[in-house]
Amino acid sequence: MFSQRLANIVFMVLTLAGCIYFAKIAQGFEAAGLMASSGLPSKFFPLLMLGLIALCAIIVFATYVIKGTASDKDEGTLYASPLEAFRGLLTLIAVIAGYFIWSTWGYLAMAVFIGPATCLAMGVRSPAIYATVLVLAGSVYLIFTQLLGTQF
Amino acid sequence: MIDTAAVTMAFANLFDPFTMMLLVVGIVLGLIVGILPGLGPPIAIALALPFTFYMDAVPSLILLLAIYNAAIYGGSISAVAVGIPGTGAAIATVLDGNAMFKKGKGGEALGLSLTASIIGGLVSVVCLAFLAPLLAQVAIKFGPREFLAISVFGLVVVVRVAGASLFKGLLVGALGIFLTTWGLDELNGAERYTFGTYHLYEGLPLVPFLVGLFAISEVLIGAEKALHKIEFNQESLKVTLPGMKMLKRLKGNLMRSSLIGTVIGIIPGEGAAVGAFFAYSEEKRRSANPEAFGTGIPEGIVAPESANNATVGGALIPTLTLGVPGSPAAAVLLGAFLIQGLAPGPTLFEERPDIMYSLFLGLFVINILMLFIGLVMIRFAAKLIMVPMTVIVPTVLLLSFTGVYAVSNSLFNVGVLLGAGVLGYVVRKLGYSIAPLSIGFVLGPILENSLRQSITLADGSVGEFLNTPIGLGIYAALALTIFWGPAITWVKSRNAGKVEDS
Repeated sequence: MFSQRLANIVFMVLTLAGCIYFAKIAQGFEAAGLMASSGLPSKFFPLLMLGLIALCAIIVFATYVIKGTASDKDEGTLYASPLEAFRGLLTLIAVIAGYFIWSTWGYLAMAVFIGPATCLAMGVRSPAIYATVLVLAGSVYLIFTQLLGTQF
Repeated sequence: MIDTAAVTMAFANLFDPFTMMLLVVGIVLGLIVGILPGLGPPIAIALALPFTFYMDAVPSLILLLAIYNAAIYGGSISAVAVGIPGTGAAIATVLDGNAMFKKGKGGEALGLSLTASIIGGLVSVVCLAFLAPLLAQVAIKFGPREFLAISVFGLVVVVRVAGASLFKGLLVGALGIFLTTWGLDELNGAERYTFGTYHLYEGLPLVPFLVGLFAISEVLIGAEKALHKIEFNQESLKVTLPGMKMLKRLKGNLMRSSLIGTVIGIIPGEGAAVGAFFAYSEEKRRSANPEAFGTGIPEGIVAPESANNATVGGALIPTLTLGVPGSPAAAVLLGAFLIQGLAPGPTLFEERPDIMYSLFLGLFVINILMLFIGLVMIRFAAKLIMVPMTVIVPTVLLLSFTGVYAVSNSLFNVGVLLGAGVLGYVVRKLGYSIAPLSIGFVLGPILENSLRQSITLADGSVGEFLNTPIGLGIYAALALTIFWGPAITWVKSRNAGKVEDS
């Protein structure tokens, strides 16, 4: 499921696009007042790093296009099976959704949502697991609010 | 000169009942997290970090050191019992440990791994206690050019050992450094990549970034295989410590492997897994009976186990004296120092020697207590291997979210945690190591400031830029680490060719 070669080529293209975007932003860095004339400009180091990233990205890109792999062996695929890919990506979506639920409806809603949602994403069928996860979520909430005094 | 007042204070700090309680709790937690496959020392330390926010410096650092040490050992329990290393550091232990377990000698294997871990840990603490103050005395004289050389050395070495592709390692290392340029420029106050939000004025926060990078990415990968079941024979778990005769037979192996682990720990980025494999292969090379390795022999357990625990003390040497983390776990530990308002580096030895001595003494006590706690706990703790990933994934996610929020009361930091987690997940799926990314993120500010200051000091002169004997020594050591392997291979192939010709 998704070859490493194709995924890495796409990632390198995105990385190069990101380098160009961040390099353009760096052109606008300005130091305030008297400090502006002291030492090297602020954009020097970020641009140096972006240059290094871009150089590496071009080399890795070329390696994947020409050789098909960045190591001595065949790198295979990103996921062992479509089911694993489905579970992994669905869990990722559940985690991101959890963050937005927290920012919209508050911590408790996220704490109740994230456990069962990730279990569902992983394909759990046992009700005992769902119950355990909810009990553990309650414990985490109690530890932080009662023991550490965190306010959500 | 030993500061006796500081040592006395260190004893008082350490033997405070609360600190001792945390020390024991840390060992128990470390063992538990180490046993659970996938959750290694960096994650264990990262998850405990938010709790230390409410503590004083010594108890909090002792808790984290206990977790660090015990988590590395804990990984060997699942390696021996089910052949699944709880941590990367225990991969080499699987070979002989699990083979011994299958022969019905599980108790003996667990006893050997426990004893070797403790001996390795103790040897490295002694090295730490003697070398760290000496190195700090030298490092206090370091200027920007020396720190630049040290940072470059650390980063290049991490990149080299991180994976099969040098350029992939370099790319993520540079990415980690680039991300530290976000926020206000420390030298002239310019806004860089703040995207109009005041949250980014101080840059991306270290703790949420590292917790996300290690914990979130790990559980996302774990979620893919969450339904795989683990089966193991719970008999043969009664620990039998090796007798004097056995220890006498293994003493050379134990000392060599402990020293190898300590030295490898000192080299930035060369973590416990590298130390364990190096010690294992060295013992196999020296053995009169190398083919017995992998079949379940004591030598194959004590070598990796003493070496991986010895990397803890080793990794703390550059971390405490230079502020350059010796391993990903030490990088997370740096976050704990920053939470306490302490900046690891040579000046910390001058300003707070009591804390330094507390840590040395604490590590010593941790290793001793781990023997007793390990003996009692192994039988029960090993059953934790059966805890399904489907329970671990949501619990670690919630703990990470809640913990990071508790440290800062900022939902922005939770966003950084999530972003770093997704970044870590993507790069790991694409075959990159996250070690250069994490070390790059820690070293970034040191690297930028020292580079800019060095260029300013040199005033355009290359000669002046390199006018640093210590720095040149470090660059020479770097060149040696890069070219030594290929040079040896080239000489060997040349000699082999000559032999064939003759």
